[in-house]
Amino acid sequence: MRLPARPGERLNRDREVTFTYDGNAVRAFEGDTIGSALYASGQRIFSRSFKYHRPRGLLCCSGSCPNCMMTVDGVPNVRVCAEPVRENAVVRPQNVWGSLERDALVVTDKLGGPFTPVGFYYRTMIRPRWAWPLYEKFLRSVAGLGKLDKHGTRANRYDVEHRRARVLVIGGGRAGREAAQQHAVAGMQVVLVDEGFVDPLEGVEVVAPGRALGIWEGGLVPVDAGRVLYRFRAEKIVVATGTIEQPLVFPGNDLVGVMLPDGVRRLIEDWGIKPAEKAVVVTVDEAGREAAASLREAGVEIAGVYDLRRERVREIVARGRGGVLRSVEVDGRKLSCDLLVMSGGRQPAYSLLSQAGARVEYDPGRGVFIPTDIPEGIEAVGSVAGEGLAGAVPAASYNGASGKGKCFVCVCEDVTDKDLKRAIAEGFDSIELAKRYTTVTMGPCQGRLCHVPSIRLYARENEKDEATIGTTTARPPWAPVTLGLLAGRPHEPAQRTAIHHRHKELGAKMMWTGTWRRPHSYGDPEGEAQSVHASVGVIDVSTLGKMIVRGPDSAQFLERLYPNRFGDMKPMRIRYGVLNSDAGRIMDDGTIARLDDETFYVTTTSTGAGAVLEWFEWWNAVWGMDVEIVNVTGGLAAVNVAGPRAREVMRKLTDIDLSNEGLAYLDAREAQIAGVPSLILRIGFVGELGYELHFPSPYGEHVWNEILDAGEEFGIRPFGLEPQRILRLEKMHILVGQDTDSESNVLEANMPWIAKLDKDDFVGKWSLEQVQERGLQDLLVGFEMEDGKVPLEGAQVVLEGTRPIGRITSSRWSPELRKAIGMAWVPAAIAEEGKSFLVTVDGGFERATVRLRPFFDPDGEKLRS
Amino acid sequence: MSGLAFLSPGRASAEAVWCSPLARALEGAPPDVGDLSQTGKIEIRGDLPKSVKGGELNRITPNRGLVLCDFGKTVELLEKLSQDYFAVDVTATLAGLSVRGEQLMRRITDLDLDALPAAGAVSHIQALVTRDGDSFALWFGQEYSDYLAEVVIDAWEGLRE
Amino acid sequence: MSFLLDCPNCGPRDVNEFSCAGEVTVRPKESPTLRELTSYIYFRRNVAGVQREWWYHRQGCEVWFQAERDTRTNEVLRTEIVEPSSRAGTPGPEAVATPDAPAV
Repeated sequence: MRLPARPGERLNRDREVTFTYDGNAVRAFEGDTIGSALYASGQRIFSRSFKYHRPRGLLCCSGSCPNCMMTVDGVPNVRVCAEPVRENAVVRPQNVWGSLERDALVVTDKLGGPFTPVGFYYRTMIRPRWAWPLYEKFLRSVAGLGKLDKHGTRANRYDVEHRRARVLVIGGGRAGREAAQQHAVAGMQVVLVDEGFVDPLEGVEVVAPGRALGIWEGGLVPVDAGRVLYRFRAEKIVVATGTIEQPLVFPGNDLVGVMLPDGVRRLIEDWGIKPAEKAVVVTVDEAGREAAASLREAGVEIAGVYDLRRERVREIVARGRGGVLRSVEVDGRKLSCDLLVMSGGRQPAYSLLSQAGARVEYDPGRGVFIPTDIPEGIEAVGSVAGEGLAGAVPAASYNGASGKGKCFVCVCEDVTDKDLKRAIAEGFDSIELAKRYTTVTMGPCQGRLCHVPSIRLYARENEKDEATIGTTTARPPWAPVTLGLLAGRPHEPAQRTAIHHRHKELGAKMMWTGTWRRPHSYGDPEGEAQSVHASVGVIDVSTLGKMIVRGPDSAQFLERLYPNRFGDMKPMRIRYGVLNSDAGRIMDDGTIARLDDETFYVTTTSTGAGAVLEWFEWWNAVWGMDVEIVNVTGGLAAVNVAGPRAREVMRKLTDIDLSNEGLAYLDAREAQIAGVPSLILRIGFVGELGYELHFPSPYGEHVWNEILDAGEEFGIRPFGLEPQRILRLEKMHILVGQDTDSESNVLEANMPWIAKLDKDDFVGKWSLEQVQERGLQDLLVGFEMEDGKVPLEGAQVVLEGTRPIGRITSSRWSPELRKAIGMAWVPAAIAEEGKSFLVTVDGGFERATVRLRPFFDPDGEKLRS
Repeated sequence: MSGLAFLSPGRASAEAVWCSPLARALEGAPPDVGDLSQTGKIEIRGDLPKSVKGGELNRITPNRGLVLCDFGKTVELLEKLSQDYFAVDVTATLAGLSVRGEQLMRRITDLDLDALPAAGAVSHIQALVTRDGDSFALWFGQEYSDYLAEVVIDAWEGLRE
Repeated sequence: MSFLLDCPNCGPRDVNEFSCAGEVTVRPKESPTLRELTSYIYFRRNVAGVQREWWYHRQGCEVWFQAERDTRTNEVLRTEIVEPSSRAGTPGPEAVATPDAPAV
């Protein structure tokens, strides 16, 4: 029932807003919340509780409790008491089988008691074991609150915005506003955030509604403003979060019609609603009396006010029908009413301060926990710091000797005083254990209404004081937050080469290599591999890491980092290098081309570029040599033209001497390719005559197109990563990270020739010497399958059907060789040409033969042609 | 001493067709977002000068800076700078994205926009950010062009709602 | 993890802009025994307190520096670029990192 308009109300009675609730239209005013509008229209039951499905009604009207949670426009668990109305919003109840008024699941309240005591899931619905799927199905359908559309995708847009504040004030009440203004007047940039609506404040930026989710290291305070997450970095944080009204614990304290003082005040003053006809007030502080005065003014009959500062009360029992309040008995005296205002005092909302490192101390005189030892950079002002709190200390419960009915400590999780006592009896005697066993404070309110009552009860039952019981750890988020808001926008950093667009046009199947997008193949991996052998193919290898290493000490620098020798490298020659850690483990591999006395061009694996740069820079920082390292990975596109007819294609693109003497295997040469300045590296990962061209990336597409044009008469085909893998495997070329892992070293990985142990100190030398001394244990070898079955990569190598002794790292069917080939780690004893071992394939064993020389062109004649 | 000519897109002949992945990714983008990739960029190492004639010097460390200049002048400026510093043509290495509006910037980075130019993270990738009034420029690895264009255009759309 | 790290070149930045290479260790001067080598590679003091460690401004200026950070609170007491241990010579640590007692 609406009261006449009053000053200070939040309604704009000139503007009507209509929304639907459970299919029916509800009229409201602008300024209403969905909850206030529903209440004004006569709705009293707002939800059904989590476990017992008891009817629940408005309790706090401040977004603290779970009682008003409904689904709004498909978004579950919205606290409608705080949610502003909007036109055509679709509001539905949740967690009911039937309706709010008639929920079939209320049977758990009437009968479920014996089956659902505290911690029931540790004891019940376990046997018979075969029935578990049925139990599970049932439990899943009744558990939880709101429901999500299982097949939904991003329905809402959530953004993140990074903000800075010289001073961030959290809480827009009296103390927060005062603090904000003081700092603004002193010339500081101030931002004030509040969970609800706040009037503007001069000189202060107000973000409201904006809920601070926690205080993290570095003054980080993320603020939930609905569709935007403001990530604030604040130099100074002022916490003015105020206090939270606490309930009293007595039988029937969860009935619809039992409310906290602030809830009543808001109904009357903010939304002009007469909350009831007849009310009873039980209070430990002034708040209850103020509520009584407000109610009288609104025309509500006050049947009784019990001020627990002045009188002792032993027993309070609220009774109702159908879950709705009808009367209250105080020490035997029965008063009929439809509203019971209970005030158990106000507990400082210290959670944010606690997260930031403050301690919390119990004040027995006031019966609440007060934050202390506030860390530097943070200030607590107002009632959260304990200002202005006066009242009687409530009893742990007003459940008299007779124990009449369920006495709720936690309305979110339906935890009663009996549950807590049972937990203590079972040995869960600390508050942290009690929390985890009973789930008290673990619901939507996160302890706002039940933390202190549960501690008080624990103290009484254990005959200790609250200070000894202590509090549970406060953790972010301070209030429930949508995962979507934390997720933000769906962007994933992805790297693409300058030729990417052409791959898509050519029908490539793209795949991820680390954060690079690369063509897996153009639809025919085996055919693509074959065309490299038969004629010529081209692959985009722009993803390779590329660095210029220049300086008087550059050769010495590389000699110290790699096991190879570089000092004796002639200009415009290339070497294959394997980078080792100081533990002698393989980190990365690539080519090193010497461009002149002081300049080297180093390539790395596609996913290793960043790590190798870091590694190089670190050693340079330690050694301080005269060398500069410049990362040009994205600056150069690179393509590899490979196959017996590669030279003929190259002849059409450049003028330089491409004869086998003019540009020999492992030679480097600078040249213009299709009018673009390039570096040609004659190397051969795929085992055929090949030229790797490196040139400025803006010409990626141009050079690619020119190559395809020039190669058309030779049947050139682009090839992707999958055919490249087949080809390199035919040559037994390792892939770091595929054939090696974090323990592999070059001696055991089939490349002993790389480690020049007669060199001076290089990174990893000592460890490799130790490996040599210890003796090689497992070696990386090639193998071919006897019966042509391709084992899975990761399949186990087994010795005569007994135990696993090694594993397959790479395996493929080679269309060129018409064999199943691969590489594997095997014990040194069988790492000899011709020895055989068994491999797990399809649940059985197949025989493989060890091969130590490349399967294709073992002498490398094609490469050097 | 190798002039590292193969790094310089400015040395290509007229027949070579320039294609900027960022320009393609920004097709149809709002006016607040633009492609600056065809700007000359030179990284210099050494004791940095106070300024560079013919270019805008952005200091990254006391011994490392990024010089921005007209694309057409890059090779000439590179040769000049190579006399006193180790200079590398990074015109092709970095893409340039112009962004107008502080709030749009705050949707994609937590860098202090009053302390620019600065090298730091923009949307989880490394970038050098420069500023001219309400206009910002992001200089970052060109391989992230599609990604960053997507991020910036999307952030712009988020501000429209 | 959201603390701020003061890069000697760039100023305070979110820690996620950096890579951490862990405790500063001392590399053996010359050919170490197996025991000395494994100590260098594996053992760390791992203090619950102020630790001197290596950081790299990966998404910024790409410079390596050292920081002193309290591992219990993530308070960073200082950051500084450290002069290389030698110029164009062999690395010059003073002592080898060997734990007092063998690992269990």
